[in-house]
Amino acid sequence: MTRRTFAAAVGLGLLTLGASSACRGGSSGGAADGALTVAMMPKNKGNPYFVSCRQGAEEAAQQLGVKLLWDGPTETDPAKQNDVVEAWITRGVQAIAVSVENREAMSTVLRKARGKGIKVVTWDADADPDARDAFVNQATPAGIADVLLGHAARLAGPAGGEIGIITGSLTAANQNSWIAEMRKLLPAKYPNLTIVDIRPSDDDRKKAFDETQTLLRVHPKVKVVMAIASPAVPGAAEAVKQSGRKDVGVTGLGLPNASKPYLLDGVLDSAVLWNTKDLGYLTVQVATALAKGRTIAGTTPFPAGRLGQLEVKGDNVILGTPFTFTKANVAGFDF
Amino acid sequence: MPDAGQATVPAPSAPGITRAWRVRLATPEFVLLALLVGELVWFSLAGTNFLTLDNGLEMLRASTEVGLLALALTPVILTGGIDLSCGALLGLSAVVFGAIWRDAGQSIPVAAAAALGVGLLGGAINAWMVAGFGRPALIVTLGTASLFRGLAEGLTGGAVNYSGFPAAFLHLGQGRIIGVPTQAWVLVAAAVTIAILVHAATIGRALRAIGYAPDGARFAGIPVGRRLALVYLLSGGAAGVAGLVYAARLGQARADAGTGFELSAITAVVLGGTSIFGGRGTVWGTILGLVALGVLANGLRLADQPAELAGVLTGVLLVVAIGVGARRGRA
Repeated sequence: MTRRTFAAAVGLGLLTLGASSACRGGSSGGAADGALTVAMMPKNKGNPYFVSCRQGAEEAAQQLGVKLLWDGPTETDPAKQNDVVEAWITRGVQAIAVSVENREAMSTVLRKARGKGIKVVTWDADADPDARDAFVNQATPAGIADVLLGHAARLAGPAGGEIGIITGSLTAANQNSWIAEMRKLLPAKYPNLTIVDIRPSDDDRKKAFDETQTLLRVHPKVKVVMAIASPAVPGAAEAVKQSGRKDVGVTGLGLPNASKPYLLDGVLDSAVLWNTKDLGYLTVQVATALAKGRTIAGTTPFPAGRLGQLEVKGDNVILGTPFTFTKANVAGFDF
Repeated sequence: MPDAGQATVPAPSAPGITRAWRVRLATPEFVLLALLVGELVWFSLAGTNFLTLDNGLEMLRASTEVGLLALALTPVILTGGIDLSCGALLGLSAVVFGAIWRDAGQSIPVAAAAALGVGLLGGAINAWMVAGFGRPALIVTLGTASLFRGLAEGLTGGAVNYSGFPAAFLHLGQGRIIGVPTQAWVLVAAAVTIAILVHAATIGRALRAIGYAPDGARFAGIPVGRRLALVYLLSGGAAGVAGLVYAARLGQARADAGTGFELSAITAVVLGGTSIFGGRGTVWGTILGLVALGVLANGLRLADQPAELAGVLTGVLLVVAIGVGARRGRA
């Protein structure tokens, strides 16, 4: 009895290990032996935003003939990112690309990777500057401000007019940097547009709804409502829809799934973000170039395959113009 | 692949093996050892740079926090108890350490002492409820787990992340002493201490007796309450130490530190053959369980397998180990 159990136990164990070998190589690539290995980590593997980044990353890996490892936490565990990078260091990959969840904790282990001669790229969210060779920057504040104002100018028409902004919280650093850039651009590029009000949504859809209603009442001449936090976009669009004001255009910055119903409905004209597939694609391009010994910092432009020549600012590779989701293209994105 | 694996396993059906040997081979520890050897052989073939000294040492570094919890849990489970709060207590200790150091402006030794104090205090609460009032350990520690995690989240507002610790402290989690990760020495010291407690001291026999039959132990003159209090206090203290090691390894202390570590620790203990009903188990088994889990997680990554597979295979290991235990119990 015990003998049979024992044999069964050992057999099952070996079977399991054997099975794991069968799924091996399913991860990616078809890269030949001796090819470069690029290891890439999202903040969270299950988040559709990162799933979409991965598609672009796989595309670049295939084009460049490198082996792509894609792994990261499946749940909130600050130690998980570190554990995976530690393993990649031991495994001896040529480049590591990380979207950093915990700057402090991750920077230490990324410095260690660099110390072992592994090229380190951060993407989506940065680490300490000395912990990586380059940062793939998805969008600059100036770039976002320019594209948002472009949509506002189009909605306001040739006569120009008033813009009301629904922001995140009034102290949100990202949003405030975009607003500051917009204020810089307005007098020179769009002299007939004015920002008449900036109201907080505190990243809450209901509050964005209420504040947009107030905005329309206080400033009846407003032609464009610009919601620049993801939860604020559907809130602002709903308020304008319920007001029945067909003369008010809505644009903003937000995730496609949250914006989708209002884009398809026609209330929301456009939602600005960056193209996540391109972000993944560019990250693998940069990581591969570094692994092949190319210097990135201070050498602009960077040839990024199908994305063309991209600007490098210091050690930041800029993905380029933000991407605009519209009624026409939003169906192709799911995050 | 199976051919390489089979070579490592003694053929159990060989006619020369006596019945006594067969019984010995079927102990959970030996089954686990065989599985571990299988893992090692497999990963040294499938993984890159797996069978290197450096990787072994790094594996030790990654396993220390869960290891400390698992070692301290072994005597707890031997008495038929459980401590589900140790992962949360790890988080609370780490956060208290960060708060005392940064917010209260105290020195690192003072902050570390406070973190250990919090661990012992948390253990004392469990001990008080379980040993003093005779409440079921499962329910008590389920409650304190929520309490400790809640306190850690409240203390930091769920958002504060303590970091920027001095290099001398970070050495505990990131440095090496005589080529071995600093915290591994702590783990070895804990293993030796608990092995002596469980296997060499009379206390160990008392713990087993409590695990088999608490009332019988009481009638046999064993101070059941005091012994139970000791093991829960020890588990709390270990969580305090693990909290410090965690903060030093990652260079940060946040309220979610150690989430789910208690389950990994319990898995290591049970995998190592300790009966969840108490009475039977060894520290040696816990160490084997810990290594088997650590090798699995590390090896899969080096073999370019997704991390989720570790969860699946851990489940398989556990089911096999428990299955063997159950058959043996009937035999």
